[in-house]
Amino acid sequence: MAERPEDLNLPNAVITRIIKEALPDGVNVSKEARRAISQAASVFVLYATSCANNFAMKAKRKTLNAADVLAAMEEMEFERFLEPLREALEVYKKGQKGKKEVSEQKRKDKEKKTDSENDKSREEEEEEEEEEERMEEEPEAENDGEEEEVEN
Amino acid sequence: MAATVATAVTPTEPEPDRCVSEEESRGAEAEEESTQQQTGPAATVSHSRLSKLPLARIKALMKTDPDVSLASQESVFIIAKATELFIEMIAKDSLVYAQQGKRKTLQRKDLDNAIEAIDEFAFLEGTLD
Repeated sequence: MAERPEDLNLPNAVITRIIKEALPDGVNVSKEARRAISQAASVFVLYATSCANNFAMKAKRKTLNAADVLAAMEEMEFERFLEPLREALEVYKKGQKGKKEVSEQKRKDKEKKTDSENDKSREEEEEEEEEEERMEEEPEAENDGEEEEVEN
Repeated sequence: MAATVATAVTPTEPEPDRCVSEEESRGAEAEEESTQQQTGPAATVSHSRLSKLPLARIKALMKTDPDVSLASQESVFIIAKATELFIEMIAKDSLVYAQQGKRKTLQRKDLDNAIEAIDEFAFLEGTLD
């Protein structure tokens, strides 16, 4: 399901909310300005990704990681973002750890219930759950065992 | 999908942001968002508490870059968060120009002025319609 960059925008309502919360009360934003900001945000994602990817490639890694993104922010002269990003990352990591423990616990519970009879289906589910841990928590269209690889 | 249903560890909070964004994108990506609806708000709360922007969409954007093969969940999250900060920053910086023009409504030209004047926004030049 290849998506062209032009097809992917970020949700307007979310963009609007972020803008409104950043600006003082009583300030309005024209539709054109909002659209431009949304476009700019998409460009930002692409630029940051490209920049971060350079760091990953330099380190001979195929997987983009958090450190690459932080390095990219510095490169792009957005040092002011580093502090809040690091803090947010800590909170995020804790949340992820909690989720992982829950899904592992659930898997153990399943193992107790379903015995040798359901051996095969259990293995499949385990793989599936591992996939989900590595991928997004939100179910995506590409859930058929495919990793985060781009098909080019 | 069983794993996502089980994530009731995270406390359920009212998430107007999430609801609004799902309404918005329902037309565009009904497939993706409606599945989230079915699994319940609990599964998506912890993400949306930290990041207002949908990580799946961010990741899809990232993957349009042919040089990018894999991206860790954390990296997607940080880019989402950074984008949020970026939006806040550009909105505030553009407002300055609106105020100079004695306006209370941010307009496209204020954006253009900010992009031209501020170094960090140089990468945007020539990229917007």
